[in-house]
Amino acid sequence: MELFHFHNGKAFIGNSRIVVLFFPPPAEIYSLTKNAKIAEESQTSSLYTRSLIEASLDPLVTINADGKITDVNKATEQVTGCTREQLIGSDFSDYFTEPEKARAGYMKVFSEGFVRDYPLAIQHASGKVTYVLYNATLYRNEAGEIQGVFAAARDVTERKVAEEKLRAASLYARSLIEASLDPLVTISAKGKITDVNKATEEVTGFSREQLIDSDFSDYFTEPEQARKGYQRVFTDGFVKDYPLAIRHKSGKITDVLYNASVYRNAKGEIQGVFAAARDITERKAMENEIQRTMEKLKQSNSELEQFAYVASHDLQEPLRMVASYVQLLERRYKGKLDADADEFIAYAVDGANRMRRLIDDLLTYSRVSRLGKPFEPTDLESTLSIVLENLQASISENGAAVTHDKLPVIVSDGGQMVQLFQNLIGNAIKFHGKEPPRVHVSAKDQDADYLFSVSDNGIGIDPQYFDRLFKIFQRLHTKQEYSGSGIGLVICKRIVERHGGRIWLESQVGKGSTVYFTLRKDKRSD
Amino acid sequence: LKKVKIKVETIDILLVEDNPGDVRLTKEALKDAKVLNEVYVVQDGVEAMQFLHREESFSNMPTPDLILLDLNLPKKDGREVLAEIKQDPKLKRIPVVILTTSKSDEDIIKTYNLHANAYITKPVDLNRFIDIIHTLEEFWFSIVRLPPKEQ
Repeated sequence: MELFHFHNGKAFIGNSRIVVLFFPPPAEIYSLTKNAKIAEESQTSSLYTRSLIEASLDPLVTINADGKITDVNKATEQVTGCTREQLIGSDFSDYFTEPEKARAGYMKVFSEGFVRDYPLAIQHASGKVTYVLYNATLYRNEAGEIQGVFAAARDVTERKVAEEKLRAASLYARSLIEASLDPLVTISAKGKITDVNKATEEVTGFSREQLIDSDFSDYFTEPEQARKGYQRVFTDGFVKDYPLAIRHKSGKITDVLYNASVYRNAKGEIQGVFAAARDITERKAMENEIQRTMEKLKQSNSELEQFAYVASHDLQEPLRMVASYVQLLERRYKGKLDADADEFIAYAVDGANRMRRLIDDLLTYSRVSRLGKPFEPTDLESTLSIVLENLQASISENGAAVTHDKLPVIVSDGGQMVQLFQNLIGNAIKFHGKEPPRVHVSAKDQDADYLFSVSDNGIGIDPQYFDRLFKIFQRLHTKQEYSGSGIGLVICKRIVERHGGRIWLESQVGKGSTVYFTLRKDKRSD
Repeated sequence: LKKVKIKVETIDILLVEDNPGDVRLTKEALKDAKVLNEVYVVQDGVEAMQFLHREESFSNMPTPDLILLDLNLPKKDGREVLAEIKQDPKLKRIPVVILTTSKSDEDIIKTYNLHANAYITKPVDLNRFIDIIHTLEEFWFSIVRLPPKEQ
């Protein structure tokens, strides 16, 4: 209530929608009247005034200098749960949760002439509490003598509850902010820190008081980067996963990713930047560890390839000497020495020949990634025609029939595709049973990759040997039964893996074998 | 080395090879050749150029009809020897056959760019090696017509 206007004996509250009237005791009114007409008018006016007072939803009371209630309206009866009769003559302060404060309130009116929005809580007879704001003023008689206090209460329980809720919500939000493990800050347009949470104190080693009003960028290993970061938030409205490193006052570095956005006031004006940092030290350490392991692995792989290459390449020279001279011996002295000599020389020649094959295979193996070609779209249909042409001799010799599904175009090393299919189809023909070999090549689109299979009706393989087949120089048969160094499937595995795929086997002894492998569609050259 | 200038059909082959094993093998293979030949052997690139320029101890040596050149040689390697021969107006007509263990595409391309007349990878198998040497000899001395020797 801002102001009272007095007009025609009615008091109006300045800007209130509710008109509050003061209600002088009847004796006063009589003393004010000069004649009957006026008295009658007053009587009418007074009745009117009274009804308005009673109609008021705000509890209204008058209090005398002793603090006793001298008049009340209906609303006061309702809010206290006491009747008009009980109330009048009783202590005003008795009806409040804090009687002392109530007393201090009306005392203040007597000393200062009014109180404005004086908070009190009225206690209903049932115990129910109503929060009110009192607006009260003195009223005087014609002579200007103080008659008492007129007090109007405004029920603010609802507002109070709302405020409570808001405060609780705000406390809750704050406690969430403080509880956050992510360092959170707000930054002004000038780059000064305006607020921080506990996590920020911990990660920087500085207290909230030290942090607030200091330069945000001071706490980073690269202040310029930090400055660019929050400036970008002001220009773009946000940053996402912006990498920075926070320096603790002890020197400890914390790698973080910042996610920040501007925040605005109710008018939509930018107030500053809210920035949340996510500690990625652990993730980064893990990434570094993976990176290191990958590099080690790559290095050891390339060393192994280099070793295979150097070993096989350099072994070739002395081998050529051994093989050539043993052969020269055989050529020149066979039948000229004794039978033992011939046998010994034969074994030496055979050993040298086998060694030559092994070294050739090892070289081929080391070539898979060492001399692998960049991946290009390769039509496996034409790959297969090349393979069948290469295997022509073996196919006709064994009376083999090779059939195939429609084969796709796949991004791959074309030369290695020939090698892969040739090895697999070659094996399928080589390890045939009593029946003429029947080989089928199939292809199935599986979204991310293709699944291929090469199946035969050959001798089959005991599942217990599957693992051995993909290991270097492991053979299942004596070289009298089947020639070969046993490197074919190892090379296939290497080629398939270079193309991001897997290779495996299904087989039953006597019922044929199927080699499956996948080739990724999106694999690019290494 | 004997001076046998009487026999017109004798051909002179310069073998540039540092491995004695290979030298012997090549010589053994050439023993059974159809054409009578004389094999001169030098063991590094520097000696090869001295031989061809008849310098130092090689003043009495003939200009070879064919050069069998290894690539990996001490002092001066086969590629340099090849380049020098093919840039020398007096030597560049002599057929140079590269006889090496290298199978690398890089070596093959490089030596042909330097005008090698043929590139052969030494096979591990002796019989194959002998075949190759015989084929070489037959090709260069029976099939192909070479320009007349200078002097």
